[in-house]
Amino acid sequence: MSSRRGLLLLLAFVVTAPRAAVAKAPDAAGGPTPEILVSRGLMRERGLSVGQVVMLSADARGAGARPFRIAGIYEPTPDPSRFTAKRLEARMHLPDLLALTADPGEAGAVDAVGAINIALKDPADASAFARELGARAPAVSVVRAAAGDDAHFVIIERFHVAISVVTMIGSTAFLLALMVIRADERREIAGLLRLLGLRRRRILLQALLEGLCIAAAGAVFGVLFAAVTQGAVNAFFQWRYDTTLAFLRVTPAIAARCVALALPLGVTAGLLASWTLLRRPVLDLLRR
Amino acid sequence: MSPLQFAWRSLSRQPARALLGLTGVAVVGALLFDMLMLSRGLIVSFRDLLESTGFDVRVTATEALPGMGPVVSEAAATVEALRRLPELAAVVPVRFGVAAVDARDKKTREVAIIGSETRRRGEWRLVQGADLAEDSAAGRPGMVVNRTFARDQGLGPGSIVRLASTLTPREFRVSGIVEFPFEAAGERMAGVTLNGFTRAFPSARRDEADLLLVASQPGVGAETAVSAIRRARPDLHAFSIDEVLERLRQAEFSYFRQVSFVLATIASFFALLLVTTLLTVSVNQRLGEVAALRALGFSRRRITFDLLAESALLVGGGGIVAVPLGLLLARVLDSILRQMPDLPSRLHFFVFEPRALAIHLAFLVLAALVAAAYPVILAARLPIAATLRKESIS
Repeated sequence: MSSRRGLLLLLAFVVTAPRAAVAKAPDAAGGPTPEILVSRGLMRERGLSVGQVVMLSADARGAGARPFRIAGIYEPTPDPSRFTAKRLEARMHLPDLLALTADPGEAGAVDAVGAINIALKDPADASAFARELGARAPAVSVVRAAAGDDAHFVIIERFHVAISVVTMIGSTAFLLALMVIRADERREIAGLLRLLGLRRRRILLQALLEGLCIAAAGAVFGVLFAAVTQGAVNAFFQWRYDTTLAFLRVTPAIAARCVALALPLGVTAGLLASWTLLRRPVLDLLRR
Repeated sequence: MSPLQFAWRSLSRQPARALLGLTGVAVVGALLFDMLMLSRGLIVSFRDLLESTGFDVRVTATEALPGMGPVVSEAAATVEALRRLPELAAVVPVRFGVAAVDARDKKTREVAIIGSETRRRGEWRLVQGADLAEDSAAGRPGMVVNRTFARDQGLGPGSIVRLASTLTPREFRVSGIVEFPFEAAGERMAGVTLNGFTRAFPSARRDEADLLLVASQPGVGAETAVSAIRRARPDLHAFSIDEVLERLRQAEFSYFRQVSFVLATIASFFALLLVTTLLTVSVNQRLGEVAALRALGFSRRRITFDLLAESALLVGGGGIVAVPLGLLLARVLDSILRQMPDLPSRLHFFVFEPRALAIHLAFLVLAALVAAAYPVILAARLPIAATLRKESIS
């Protein structure tokens, strides 16, 4: 527990050494100053630069601080589950971290770690390996690292789907209202066409094609609008949260799903609206 | 006939259209109402959780969240120093840790352990058995466990909890089952005394605290208590509940606030577009009728009121239906979001507030007015004679 906490503590507290003291900053053991990498966010937040020596401590009041030289800047791997948090982080060699955070009075503290990452030769063996290790070392928690199925995103996706369903119900009502209006506007024309001998099916087919065209045009416009604006949406959220994560991505699958939903909806709305009109007697359509 | 009655008749002539308009407004209105609830839901719900503990100030060593940054060292002396401040009624040190327990299926499971003093206020709620008592010198230290931990391990008052260890066994006697304010669904949690905590984590330093819970004196207020702590111990970071919430609002909760803002804007625009379209088409189809009414002596003002009333009926009717529909939808959406791991099970994303209802109504009134604007201009500028002539010829 202490090692994991120590890492967090360490990253939360950074004191920059005065420039004048940089050249003289000694390591506790008298050796060369150990190097660290700092995250881009931390560098900007604290005005750090490569080559600068900073004092790090695991203690809130700075007790036992040690000098480290900034060897470089890195971009932390974007973590969607923590994108709202500032990534004020640093990376250092494990022995340096243990030396900095270990309690001198705690036996074995300099040889304790919070977690060990393991890459198997055959990833398919992961479950069997976890079972075996769990049996051999019961006090060790063995967790399989899985990518892409984080529960947070499954839930967020469900939420977005639910919102989409509600939006779709609202837009369907809107679409139906528009189609009813459109059908009503052409009530007399429909009556005339019927008088001229056109069958209901023929007029309905025309309404179907018209609905299909409107729905296709609307869906294509929607997809294009989303594709064009996705850059702006991503840029805003990336700026807001200082992350490289992509928040919005119009993929071909999403575009296809959108069109596949829009077309039947548009056609059905057109047919429904036309049918409510066409089932009336011809004279009624002509307001006679 | 009043404008409202006139508008009602006008809508009744096209029942399908009116019904679809109402449905559309109701659905987007419900979405708007939900987004208004979501915009502040987490903050309101989190405030309830924080206040339920009975402590209105949190003190940490740094600005980092408790458990995520350096600990408060020399905790005992710090607590004593703070307890001497007249503005403070109670100061309780808290420690956090994660231990492993051997589950009944022979696997190890994690359990979050909170080390604190015996309960002063609302640190937890006793559900069954006895509360945590001071540990006696001999015997196993006491422990209170939450319902999930009790159910998973088959624990009850008097049961023994054995933490997994390769060293000497670390055993605790369960005194009761409790509910922690911040426990997540499915999370195993336990509370022990500070002595019990060092027993659970022998390598943990004794005189440290992750967090100090502080209650201000009645009538003093959290802000005064925070100022007093900052004066007495400028090396510590004290936060009132308002400050904690403001920080969460700016960072951790900001995503849902922004999502709600975007969706509320879209919903409002959608409602506006829908009603404007319906009214504009309606007016366009009734140009002759409007011109005839003007010729009969109806003033522009009266026509304007008629159209405003029609807009109000559409938006108002949909808006009224939107409230129960929105509450129902909020329950569904809330139940989806609350499945997120590591969230306190008492935390809600959608919380009803009278403020949300007031803003919802204000939005709808605005939508009704703006939606009626264009049709009103069309009707008001209508040339009476020319329109009547055109209508009679056609």
